[in-house]
Amino acid sequence: MSAVIDEKSKLVINETSKRYSNTKSQIIIYGIVCALIFIVPSFMDNAYLLNKFSTYLIMGMLAMALSLSWGYGGILNLGQAVSFGLGSYCMAMALKLRTVPIHTGAEGLPDFMVWNNVETLPLIWQPFHSLTLAVFLGIAVPVVFAMLVGWFMFKGRITGVYVAIITLAILVVVNLLIIDQQRITGGFNGITDLAQLEVFGFEFDAYSSSAYYLIAIFLTLSLFLALAITKSKTGKILQAVRDHEDRVRYFGYDVSHFQIFVFAVSAGISGLAGMLYTIVMEFASPTFLGVHLSLSIVIWCAVGGRQSLIGAMLGAIFVVGIQGSLSESETFLETWTLVMGFIFVMVVLFLPKGIAGAFESLAARIRQKN
Amino acid sequence: MDPITIISQLVTGLSIASILLLVALGLAIIYGATGVINLAHGEFVMLGAYSAWALQTFFNMSLFESLIFIFIIVALLGWAIERTVIRHLYARPLDTILATWGIGVIAQQAIRLTAGGELRYVEMPKQLADSVLIFGVEISSFRIFVLIFAATLFGLTWYLMYRTTFGIKLRAITQNPEVASSFGINSNRVFGLTFAYGAGLAGLAGALISPLKSVSPEMGTTYVVDAFLIVVLGGVESLMGTVLSAIILGELSSILSFYSNDTIAKALVLLAIVILIRFRPQGLFSSKVRS
Amino acid sequence: MKEGRRSFLKKTVVGTGVLAASNFPYIWVKNSSLAYAAKGEVKVGVLFSLTGTTGIIEESLNKATIMAIEEINDSGGINGMKITPVVEDPASDPATFAAKARKLVLNDRCVSVFGSYTSASRKAVLPVFEKRENLYWYPTLYEGRECSKNVIYTGAVPNQQQDEFVPWLVEKFGKRWYLIGSNYIYPKEENNYCKKLLADLGCEVVAEEYVPLGHSEFASVVNKFRSEKPNVIFSTVVGDSVVALHRQYRAAGLDPETMPMASLTTSENEVAAMGGDAAAGHFTSAPYFQVWDSPENQKFVEAYRKRWGEDKVTHFVSEPSYFQVYMFKQAVEKLDPSDISPQTIREAVKGVELVAPQGLVRLDPATLHTYLWPKIGVCKSDGQFEILKQSSEWLAPVPYKAYPDQVCTEAGLKQV
Repeated sequence: MSAVIDEKSKLVINETSKRYSNTKSQIIIYGIVCALIFIVPSFMDNAYLLNKFSTYLIMGMLAMALSLSWGYGGILNLGQAVSFGLGSYCMAMALKLRTVPIHTGAEGLPDFMVWNNVETLPLIWQPFHSLTLAVFLGIAVPVVFAMLVGWFMFKGRITGVYVAIITLAILVVVNLLIIDQQRITGGFNGITDLAQLEVFGFEFDAYSSSAYYLIAIFLTLSLFLALAITKSKTGKILQAVRDHEDRVRYFGYDVSHFQIFVFAVSAGISGLAGMLYTIVMEFASPTFLGVHLSLSIVIWCAVGGRQSLIGAMLGAIFVVGIQGSLSESETFLETWTLVMGFIFVMVVLFLPKGIAGAFESLAARIRQKN
Repeated sequence: MDPITIISQLVTGLSIASILLLVALGLAIIYGATGVINLAHGEFVMLGAYSAWALQTFFNMSLFESLIFIFIIVALLGWAIERTVIRHLYARPLDTILATWGIGVIAQQAIRLTAGGELRYVEMPKQLADSVLIFGVEISSFRIFVLIFAATLFGLTWYLMYRTTFGIKLRAITQNPEVASSFGINSNRVFGLTFAYGAGLAGLAGALISPLKSVSPEMGTTYVVDAFLIVVLGGVESLMGTVLSAIILGELSSILSFYSNDTIAKALVLLAIVILIRFRPQGLFSSKVRS
Repeated sequence: MKEGRRSFLKKTVVGTGVLAASNFPYIWVKNSSLAYAAKGEVKVGVLFSLTGTTGIIEESLNKATIMAIEEINDSGGINGMKITPVVEDPASDPATFAAKARKLVLNDRCVSVFGSYTSASRKAVLPVFEKRENLYWYPTLYEGRECSKNVIYTGAVPNQQQDEFVPWLVEKFGKRWYLIGSNYIYPKEENNYCKKLLADLGCEVVAEEYVPLGHSEFASVVNKFRSEKPNVIFSTVVGDSVVALHRQYRAAGLDPETMPMASLTTSENEVAAMGGDAAAGHFTSAPYFQVWDSPENQKFVEAYRKRWGEDKVTHFVSEPSYFQVYMFKQAVEKLDPSDISPQTIREAVKGVELVAPQGLVRLDPATLHTYLWPKIGVCKSDGQFEILKQSSEWLAPVPYKAYPDQVCTEAGLKQV
């Protein structure tokens, strides 16, 4: 019986994976893009630009994480920023405990706690004295949170629009709570005035190539991890779930396990991105888990191509880059949001699979001609 | 708690509910009929408020006089957006999230550039500026007006959906597009009109809340999430469900915010909705799930 | 070994950097070593949101700043040098604030930046200014308890708004107070100070409540006002919530005669949006009101309307946005052009005095905050305030007033 199921499931899986079979060329393209990312600092001696590009890479990482769950798993997560924000706060808490507060004079207690009349460090902050533990939590907290939310949704066979709405509502709740619990979280101001990250005596200055390389390394690692997942059996089943959830279920798979898995991996990568973001931005803020950012991630993903990890990543870098340069140019100072909105609408109308999708179909057409 | 406070909290809940209903009604129709997730709905609300401001400032019209024009202006805008963008996306409902978000961004900035970035003022009708005593509770006359207006609009909409040919056609398309079109119903035209009607309702909502709140380019964003939750909670294609879930939400926020504070109230209400959707994705008052 | 690897890494990075610099266009390495004032211009950043939620207010701060810069340039600049403003739109988002601040400081090499309305945005840009030793000019009233050497504060701190206001209200209306604010640090800190003053006066705080930022449904809050019947409602609600609160208070039929709202945040700007009808009878304490009768203010208001439109109002945040540019001018004037830098400007601005629209103000050398003239105004139905009381002398800023064991000094924060 189980052999039959396996045979049949292979059929389904093969059907959906045919389109994604060209693994070798994919690895080459991914490798080239990552190599390009790594050589950027050698062309640049401008601390500001380097710092800006670092933030672009992080946004790319976020969009890539979303494309894993949305493009491959069919889970439209409008609350992707939750995991990003949780990661970012974990790093901020660790770095905060390493600063000497200059505005309060209180030793050992973060300045905002003094402002909120907190007298002893809350228990939840204690683990963050250890940087190792903080980094672990920066990934573990988003992963566990995503598993809980995923378990809650997917065990109940919630799909499509309802996933979008539940994740959006959860995002708003977490955001409200962080702003409300300002004795612990710093509230609306977030956690500011942080120490610089120092690992084994090596400092990661937000404006230096060291921080940039740190991000580039983790971006590359998570990109290939995601690629490996999409190529694995799990990844193929996921794509089958996305296209024909019921059929996969008939073969005896517990669909929810795969969904929870990819949801959690995506959250882990976002949490990592959040930690890196705190390092380059030098603060954590509730806007990092705001509705605006969360929807922006979806947009980047859509522009780049949700069904391509690298497409989503480059889409984010591309959109954020355009946004940055438009808003900095004098001509577009007042109209840049107008232009961005227009671009989104056009992309959705004319490039339903994003830029990557457009390239793919172009390539397919050329291949056909030959 | 004394009875007066209880009554006034209940009435407050109804008042909050009526504002929520005003905003959600247009969305319920658009989402229920076409499946479009219209994140620009809040911007229709905002455009309604700005229309009220513009008609008052440049044509010296009172809020009452301008209501019909506001409905027409925003409905026309909605229709134009449906014709140019939305109608290409009926086959891809999730993509409408992205497109309508872009439209929302454009609308906000367009208003900021034309009407200015500062907060705008819409005068409250003089006749309703004060409060009245009902059951020993002092209530703003304007809030009562909004309540009645919302109920009337709901009645009209219900009539339109269930007692007119237009409504029958619309429901036919929603239930089975193929069969409907084989009976000669032009779904294109019906969807266009539905979208325009929903947008017009949102515009009225914006106009009616503007004397109680402030008018700014971003005002719509705060409403769209709430409105969506109400529609989903009420159940797709269930107008009655939309009303009931608006009332539930209104009363819940009123009571919770009286006992704790508005932040906690909002968080708890949202959590309650998440849990309800998890166990009844078809909504509280409907049997159909949107696929 | 650790050290060895580190220096190796550094060398590699530096090596490739040098290689790149010799091969690649000049723009990549631009002006990292140029002087701040070059080619007869002084570059400053202007960092107020033009879009997003607080854009509604910050836009007017941007306008006041730009106007001051234009005025100075039209009358010959600073020692013949023009001020060149670099305007950025941080879109009401703290992360964008930080990013744009970096651009202004690192990329554009601005010698100072004028900006911020919310505390959150100030906190977000602070690391940039402190680590890069630049100067941020912050025009907004705020919660105090900051002693940065890289910020010039020209708005009021709690003691400057409350010291006269609170006792005056207690005497006039009574001892039962309801504190309502938006849910973040500014209202909480103002309330900390207010509660201290109230306790000294033997008053009772019947409730202390915070609503989410951007909140606009005050029906329940109004019900609580009605059932608690406080003598004074002390409001530190900010932004468009102020408008909603006042309008709903008015619509519910509450009476400012017996239960007035006393605000630290309601200015002509918010009143214009709520209508004089909803604002009439409520009180505000601030160092500046548009109706203040002085030749300097008359000139300021007229110029502002002429430049930006007859319907525009000036208010207690736009006024410091305007005069702080003149403080900047006075400081730079003292310096030799080759000597201009954020640090020298900071030293030069200490003790600077000028006649602002609100009166003669002075920058306190120890705290880098400003001596101001607190006033109490009551709003009239025409949307303007009537000034009921002005303090008899300028009031020194004491950013740590609520915490007597801490003092902000020229050398930094001191424990006493």
